[in-house]
Amino acid sequence: MKPSKSKFVSAAFVLALAAGACAAPPASAPAAPAAPQAAAPAESTAAEPAAAEPAVAEQAPAASGEKVKIAQWFDTTGSATMANCLVEAVVKPFNEKNAGIEVEATLQPNSWDAARTAIAGGAGPDIFGTPGPSYVLALAKAGQLLPLDDFAKEFQWNERFAPWALNLGLVDGKLYSLASEVETVVLYYNKTLFEEKGWTPPATLDELLTLAETAQQEGIIPFASGNAEWKGVNEWLLGEWINRLAGPQKVYDALTGKAKWTDPEFVKAVEQLTELQKKGYFMGGLDKYYTATFDELHSAFGTGKAAMNIEGTWYLSGIGDNFGDAAGNTNDWGWVPMPSLDGKPLFNMAVGSTYSINKNTANPRAVAEYLDYWFSPETQGAMLTKCGLAPAAVRLNPESLQGLDARRIEVLDTLDRAAREGGYGYTTWTFWPPKSNTYMIEELEKVWSGAITAQQYLAGLQKLFDEESQAGSMPPIPAR
Amino acid sequence: MSQSIVVSPSVSSARIGRNRRFFRRKVLPWLFVLPILLLNALVVLGPSLSAFYYALTRWDGIGPATFIGLDNFRRMLFEDTSFGKAFLNNVIWMAIFLTIPMVLALVAASLAARVRRGGMFFRIALFIPYVLPAVITASVWRFLLNPTLGLGAQLAKIGLPGLDQAWLGRPDTALLAVAFVDNWHWWGFLMALFLAAMQSVPPELYESARIDGANRWDEFRHVTLPGIRPTLVFMIQMTAIWSFLAFDYVWILTRGGPAGSSEVLGVLVFKAAFNNLESGYAAAIGLTLSFFTTVIIAIFVVLRRRGWEI
Repeated sequence: MKPSKSKFVSAAFVLALAAGACAAPPASAPAAPAAPQAAAPAESTAAEPAAAEPAVAEQAPAASGEKVKIAQWFDTTGSATMANCLVEAVVKPFNEKNAGIEVEATLQPNSWDAARTAIAGGAGPDIFGTPGPSYVLALAKAGQLLPLDDFAKEFQWNERFAPWALNLGLVDGKLYSLASEVETVVLYYNKTLFEEKGWTPPATLDELLTLAETAQQEGIIPFASGNAEWKGVNEWLLGEWINRLAGPQKVYDALTGKAKWTDPEFVKAVEQLTELQKKGYFMGGLDKYYTATFDELHSAFGTGKAAMNIEGTWYLSGIGDNFGDAAGNTNDWGWVPMPSLDGKPLFNMAVGSTYSINKNTANPRAVAEYLDYWFSPETQGAMLTKCGLAPAAVRLNPESLQGLDARRIEVLDTLDRAAREGGYGYTTWTFWPPKSNTYMIEELEKVWSGAITAQQYLAGLQKLFDEESQAGSMPPIPAR
Repeated sequence: MSQSIVVSPSVSSARIGRNRRFFRRKVLPWLFVLPILLLNALVVLGPSLSAFYYALTRWDGIGPATFIGLDNFRRMLFEDTSFGKAFLNNVIWMAIFLTIPMVLALVAASLAARVRRGGMFFRIALFIPYVLPAVITASVWRFLLNPTLGLGAQLAKIGLPGLDQAWLGRPDTALLAVAFVDNWHWWGFLMALFLAAMQSVPPELYESARIDGANRWDEFRHVTLPGIRPTLVFMIQMTAIWSFLAFDYVWILTRGGPAGSSEVLGVLVFKAAFNNLESGYAAAIGLTLSFFTTVIIAIFVVLRRRGWEI
């Protein structure tokens, strides 16, 4: 999990970016007869025939001339900036253009906890967001969400989304959610510092570790990192290490029950990460890692006190604040894929949030229309360019991305190519069931403190993982 | 054969009078409190009773609950090592809050009680931290305790090293550091309560004590403390209870870390319910928390019945 959320990238999306509007569909995308990018979202939804076999027999919006009202909650935990931006860039245009539906946006701290409680009580927002597929699983099994299959057929979502992303919303063969905010974790580096020192951005894990040691010897913090504000930083690091040292295939095998978390490869990954923590590579020491806020560590990275930062692509929307004029320095930044054992790019896939239809809604079709708008290429483009929110795995319209930092486009492009060649791994917050995920974050600190060994830690994980697997709590795992 | 009963007017009016008195004394008061009782039953009693049931279930807080008997309690007591650690932290927390802020508040209140000019300023200054939201206080102190930017770091820069430690980031100091911050906001409130209680102690008692040759310490021990005993005992009892409900400062400052070193039972409940989707298990821990507070209350009740003047 991460603070503001986001993750991976759609093959179709980046191909469109890289090759322009007329790019052929990528290998992983379905042969799309007509990508839904031409029509403006509101127009396209308005043009949908109301009688086009609605999934649930409900009223057609705007039939009476009065707007159908649907509710959406926007999370403000930590900051309301993103929530306000989304309301301005997404909800407001929809309400202005759409004659039949009005979205009532509510800014809600801890929105997930609040919504989860509300839906269990028969209420909650009509558009129901969750932090990831594993949470959808629990809600869908409890009958709190409406299946989206008929809407998906009606709105042709299978042609818009990358297959792996759409499959993440499947529960017992039915579609219950649409994955949003696709991102990954990469290695950012202080380009100016690297040039001054004559360092080369690392491609392999060995190069990374050598560079970290060199930096520390020169009095520079190797990695700007800290979990004072977000414990999930533990899993960013752990996820990177287990996917790299054990390999994504091994992780896939363990996720699907063909391998054990106690296997030596995983033990080695946890032990190596522990060793690096003890060496003080992350922020200068474990105590500092535990107390460093994001402002502090990002500032250390921008000023060159720290050389590198292992963080998700969500940081791309704020990295500019730490470099150059905005930060009062003359430094610049660069990025590379998080180094792997063999130097081939490997990106851990992640989904930051999902959207579903609340079972309690009085207007399921209106919500489906709004979801169609929300996940339209134009809207996703607006979210990315205006608010810095990572897009869903949909094909974006290149024209809508003007003004976006070229490096961000480069990240998405590289990620896409790697993903198509099988160079993807698995983030813990997207592909592990909830209890196992929390365990990985919380108990890892006990390994770092020496209270338990890596073996004990992984044995505990295996036990919990087995329990959750047997209970049917595993989110869908994309096959390799 | 039929019988007719003749009731004299005086007997009838007496009965009506009795009924009216019964209504006024026994029924009417209940009617006045009935709305709030119903509300209480709806929002307090109902959920409280449901917690008993959910504590005996496996429930993710979303779907249907499955009855599993005492399994949650078995797991809590015999499998979950976090529970024991968190309980111990709550006990440490209670020990800290029953001593340090109590002593600080008593000393400050007895000093403030003698201040004539500017007394109100000191009282307000010491009380203000209590009215600040926990999230503000905790955020400010997180910055002040930061090892590279905070107070310790600034002191180190001017040649006073030693305090530039990551107090919140070390397993051996994290709980104490959080308790320090919570205490910073708490003791001013205690002081205000004790001060109000001290001001209700009759001045003649102090005069008598002085005539008898009592010094300041004797006055405090033999006049002030007995005079404020009801307030003092009540706050000791409440502090003991509240110590088991500690959550906000711990959550904001450390989330129970590092490595579970500052985890208290309240944090454990939150993590179980909202991170792990184990609302049934969270209910079991919550119920156990309630049990601990009941034990504390029971101790005070028993001591009172045995004649302790508390």
